[in-house]
Amino acid sequence: MKTFLKRAGGALAVLAAVLVLNFFLFRIMPGDPLTAIVDPRFSPEAKAALASQWGLDRPISEQFLVYVREMLSFRFGLSMMTGAPVWDELKNRVPNTVALLLPSLVFSTLLGLWLGIKAALRRGSLVERIVLLGGAVSFSFPSFFVQLLLLMCFSYAFPLFPLRGTSSVPPPEGFAAALDYVWHLALPVFSLTILGFGGFALYIRNMMVKALGEDYVTMARARGLAPRRVVWNHAFRSILPPVLTIVLMSLPGIVGGAVITETVFSMNGVGRFLLEATNSHDYPAASAAFFLLALLTVICNLIADICYVIVDPRVRREAAHE
Amino acid sequence: MSKPRGGFSAAVLSLLALLAIFGPNVFGLKDGEMAPPYSKPSWMDKSIVSAETLTVKSDASRGDVSYSENIRWNYAPPKRVSFTGRLDFGRIEWVTPNRAFVLSDKPGEIDLDARDIPFKRAMGADPFDDMASVLFPVSGDYSLRVVGQGEISMRAEGGRWGLLGTDHRGRDTATLFVRGIRVSLMVGIAATFIAAVLGMSLGLISGYAGGIVDSLIMRIVDVLMSIPTLPILMVLSSVWGKGLWNLIAVLSIFSWMGTARTVRAITLSLRDAPWVEGLRALGAKRNYIVFRHLLPETLPLLLANIALGVPGAILAEAGISFLGLSDPRLPSWGRMLHEAHAYGAFTTGAWWTILPPGLGIAVICLVFMDIGRKLEERADPRLAAAARPDAESVKEALE
Amino acid sequence: MSENPRPVSLDIEDWSVTYAGGKKQVRAVKNCSLSVARGKIAGLVGESGSGKSTLLMSVPKLLPAGTVTGGRIRCAGQEISSLGEDAINLWRWRRIALVPQGAMNSFTPHLTIERHISEVLNRHLGSSKKECAEKAAELAAMTGLEKGALHRYPHELSGGQKQRAALSVALACEPDFLLADEPTTALDVITQKDVLETIVSLVRERGMGLLLVTHDLPLAAAVSDSLVVMKDGEFVEHGPPREVSRSPRHPYTKKLVAAIIDMESGT
Repeated sequence: MKTFLKRAGGALAVLAAVLVLNFFLFRIMPGDPLTAIVDPRFSPEAKAALASQWGLDRPISEQFLVYVREMLSFRFGLSMMTGAPVWDELKNRVPNTVALLLPSLVFSTLLGLWLGIKAALRRGSLVERIVLLGGAVSFSFPSFFVQLLLLMCFSYAFPLFPLRGTSSVPPPEGFAAALDYVWHLALPVFSLTILGFGGFALYIRNMMVKALGEDYVTMARARGLAPRRVVWNHAFRSILPPVLTIVLMSLPGIVGGAVITETVFSMNGVGRFLLEATNSHDYPAASAAFFLLALLTVICNLIADICYVIVDPRVRREAAHE
Repeated sequence: MSKPRGGFSAAVLSLLALLAIFGPNVFGLKDGEMAPPYSKPSWMDKSIVSAETLTVKSDASRGDVSYSENIRWNYAPPKRVSFTGRLDFGRIEWVTPNRAFVLSDKPGEIDLDARDIPFKRAMGADPFDDMASVLFPVSGDYSLRVVGQGEISMRAEGGRWGLLGTDHRGRDTATLFVRGIRVSLMVGIAATFIAAVLGMSLGLISGYAGGIVDSLIMRIVDVLMSIPTLPILMVLSSVWGKGLWNLIAVLSIFSWMGTARTVRAITLSLRDAPWVEGLRALGAKRNYIVFRHLLPETLPLLLANIALGVPGAILAEAGISFLGLSDPRLPSWGRMLHEAHAYGAFTTGAWWTILPPGLGIAVICLVFMDIGRKLEERADPRLAAAARPDAESVKEALE
Repeated sequence: MSENPRPVSLDIEDWSVTYAGGKKQVRAVKNCSLSVARGKIAGLVGESGSGKSTLLMSVPKLLPAGTVTGGRIRCAGQEISSLGEDAINLWRWRRIALVPQGAMNSFTPHLTIERHISEVLNRHLGSSKKECAEKAAELAAMTGLEKGALHRYPHELSGGQKQRAALSVALACEPDFLLADEPTTALDVITQKDVLETIVSLVRERGMGLLLVTHDLPLAAAVSDSLVVMKDGEFVEHGPPREVSRSPRHPYTKKLVAAIIDMESGT
């Protein structure tokens, strides 16, 4: 219990640091936030009015308090472009991003797991070659390049999938709408799956190869256990803690990478929201998106820590003894 | 995909570096010269012409009324046709196998482009017609004729250009590609080097000093590691400006943490190693131990770390550029792909604007990974294995 | 158990093992023959690298893929060296169990000792949960493992406890033969003696055959019925322990015996 509290405390500290950083990040630029979005010919009165609308005329300490309140309440203030609350904008886009990332993550994790273990069991086989190649691709090929190639192949040369967006124009209705949505998401999800599984499979394979060489796996075989049981209950189960950590720790990167996927496939998601906010210097919006991503990272790290404790008896007992 | 390994990787890297330095002088297009947008590579489709010119000049000494030059046209209609010159008197004609066009009968300077609507009107064509195909309707003999006195040149540009065609603005893709090498190499190496030095120093300090300094540095590492990389790069490049060095600075600030952790772990294990204790017992000063003994111990690994970190930096730069957050005046591979995507290269099938930069990035990353692996093997393999569990198989994948 | 007039035995005949991995082939075991009957203890002595562990692991076919074997091994008259993976799996542990080297991390780290025991019972005898728990307690009592240790994880046990736990797991299915690979090496002298005594008495009591692999000649000579000395993959000495230590024929054994006599006279 003490360990949990300690880890949670650490996470809170990191979050607080991110919060402070996020605040100053958008205030270190030359001039004030308004110069970037306001026409220089605006009258001083109009500027002042705008400044007070975003609270920029108040002392910095007060601005900070307002900022913290807005962040923690998930309202994130008003967008400088639209004047609407940032959260209203964001919440329409969250489903698209989730619909993109969740299936990709599930597919690439399962595929990576399956192929990684297969590759570890059959060294030198075709599966192992695929895994090694997939790993090299995911470490060296830019995601947007692979996605552009897929678009060129399957949307232009063989137009099986749509070129852009998340729904057809005009949008169909009822069940057809759901199908249409899936059809639009198919290529992006496929691209993220093939980009994601390689690194994961490679990692699993390496750890499995190491685990399969352990004495206790040989002993499990010596006990005449079913091969399936040796692989899953002994070898795989023993690498589960690091595997969980890898999955959870890769999550923030994957969410951050959504910017690129959503840009390539012209989808309205949180990632593109961040890009648009950055491009138009809409600082409240950008810092909101940024804060959400950092929050996700911290939560993932915390869950990873907790999972580790639950899954690994060595850590679990130590935690209990404390 | 290429399979670089060992010496081969080094050779590929040297070749790219040489291309980056001397390439722009060797290849095509001078600045300002533009070919038709999305021209195909010149080796691709022989039924299209890359460019043809035809010049006719009246010669007063010959005293003829009409002067003409012929051209045999066996290609598809060109993409762009223009006529430039001067007419003193008389008229200028373009004779196709079917009919003759009077291009001009008013004396003066001539500067006609087949895309101009007044020109199309004057030739009796519809403004929406593709004038180039009106002027070159079929295969056959064409002639450009000056009746009277004057001088005229016709330039017909087809859809082919250079080694790798052109992009949406008609710039030579091969030249852009070669220029892009420089950005990738510079960003990749500079950012990783700075990050490695930073990580190395902080890791050494943290590991050797211990105490408050150590926990402070490690907390900073924790915080920085909790920040998703791509978004912070996006935000900072928009806040701090889009220059190359800004990008390098941002990349280095956010990629030193891994090295610092590794070096700290090594330092911790070395600090209590018997031979370091021996040095201390002999009265060696802390600085002496750190700089003369611990630093050299970790140096080979640092070198390998730099090489292995370069792909990450290159990919990050490419990502930022692809999102359009880089300096538009700076030709980089990411930027090329950004423009290819933004201006619909794949809806025109212009694969030559997509494949070269994308494969370029991939090859350069593979090359650095391979070199990094080799360096790592030369450094202490035990430390290397502890630092990177995935390294072994990346190497295998390359072989 | 068996109605055979001749005692059930494990016969290793003209057995060779060659590691084929890498550039060069290594013949780790060369034409060795050995027989252990139920109720008997055979000692196999050799220095590290002599091929004794390889020989032992090759009996239940646990050597890495790519290893080539020659000759044959029979258990209770049936040839097991030619069996496929699925078939040999039925012999493993049910008939031939292993007591691993003390230094080995032979237990799966995330399973308790009791889970290890119930896993094999479930697999080979189809025991229910309750039967497993009872049997585990019985085995612990037999091997001198305190009952609390059954519910602990391997990393929480001391060296001696681990070795007793390993013995408990090995005896779970009441196998005909035990193969023990340096079962006491990593332990301190007193624990070593305790553990070895436990093994030997249990083997005698239950009429199992034991192949005891060790580098310790006096230890092997003290407990075995027959003794083999192995050097560079070959059996250089074969006979009753008394004979081997009294009149060694091979120069290696002579040196070995001389060293022991030196040591004893020195103290």
